[in-house]
Amino acid sequence: MPTVKMTVNGKPVSAEVEARTLLVHFLREHLDLTGTHVGCDTAQCGACTVHVGGKAVKSCNMLAVQADGAEVTTIEGLATGDTLHPMQEAFRDHHGLQCGFCTPGMVMSAIDLVKRKADLSEAEIRAGLEGNICRCTGYHNIVKAVQAGAAATRGR
Amino acid sequence: MFLQPKSVEAALAMMAEPGARLLAGGTDFFPAQGEQVIEHPVIDISRLADLRGIATTPTHIRIGGAATWSEIVAQPLPRGFDALKAAAKEIGSIQIQNRGTIAGNLCNASPAADSVPPLMALEAEVELLSAAGTRRLPLGAFILGNRKTALLPGEMVSAILVPRNVAENASAFGKLGARRYLVISIVMIAVAMSLENGRVGQARIAIGACSAVAQRLAEAEAALVGCRKAEEIAGRLHAGHLAALAPIDDVRATAGYRRDAALILLRRVAAAAMLAAGN
Repeated sequence: MPTVKMTVNGKPVSAEVEARTLLVHFLREHLDLTGTHVGCDTAQCGACTVHVGGKAVKSCNMLAVQADGAEVTTIEGLATGDTLHPMQEAFRDHHGLQCGFCTPGMVMSAIDLVKRKADLSEAEIRAGLEGNICRCTGYHNIVKAVQAGAAATRGR
Repeated sequence: MFLQPKSVEAALAMMAEPGARLLAGGTDFFPAQGEQVIEHPVIDISRLADLRGIATTPTHIRIGGAATWSEIVAQPLPRGFDALKAAAKEIGSIQIQNRGTIAGNLCNASPAADSVPPLMALEAEVELLSAAGTRRLPLGAFILGNRKTALLPGEMVSAILVPRNVAENASAFGKLGARRYLVISIVMIAVAMSLENGRVGQARIAIGACSAVAQRLAEAEAALVGCRKAEEIAGRLHAGHLAALAPIDDVRATAGYRRDAALILLRRVAAAAMLAAGN
């Protein structure tokens, strides 16, 4: 079996995995990082969004071996100790979730979005989050949370 | 067996492995795989720097086959590529655009592949590389049918080439789907257009998702020559110009709806291209 080495949330990890292991299963089952969710398994819902090399990707759509040597960030890597990332804080403040299943992916996509363009209109946020599906909220509070999270990230 | 070649030459050598398949962005590969176990050898070419990057040669703009949609959107390119960029921004979602590649979209050969009409309107050619050497095919001769291409065993799409003179034309793109993203298109249109003394000199029009392979609409193109104003475009285009299409009835739309929508979208996108050409 191939050995994969990567940096996940700042820590070097290494494991022997079957080559067919998807990145999301590697994160959840080998590293016990279960904050990244599997929703549709077909690259539609975005619940499995993580950052690879600083870019948002759907981790159900990539093999762990394809991320060999890469820097990977998951939802667990955002907070500093007990201090949440401003985007996480904004989702909490604005009630940008109900059941919470889509939330890790939403937050990871939102951070990628804000990183590429700091000053986002509501329309840009809605377009930028098209790859993340939420079945509860109607997106309204998610958009508010991203606007607030973007402002807080700028001010940081 | 998972193979990660360090060079294009190594990848070509690995393709001699029986049943081997190339993997680039994987955005079509994994969803199509479903629950099936991957049993064939997989050659991951997503990290080969030689297959990425966008370069300008004396005659062409050359887009590496493994260039992602995000990379294409971020690259300053002549305005002929505005249509391709517009299509790229609506392919899947941002996460998909960060992984999905231009050659992957062509090799997947879906009738609804969003990049095909913009590239056809730019007279794009496909560069095919094998251990024996390279050859080039016009895009229309590369995609042969639904999920069928002219790729021979041992060949990969190494680059897409667009003539620089065509790339100078203004361009526009439009697509219709049940929603904007993460949806299989019902119809898409790309138009590249040049003006001569304020009138349409040449229009190149391609339509996708209304036949097994996207196609150019030569009669519609001819009908636009000499047009003086964007407002006149709608009147010059009629249903007869779409006679060569063979739209299907499926869960997304009926054939009749596709024909109606195609004409409306054609008029809108052609008018948009003319406005862009005048600016």
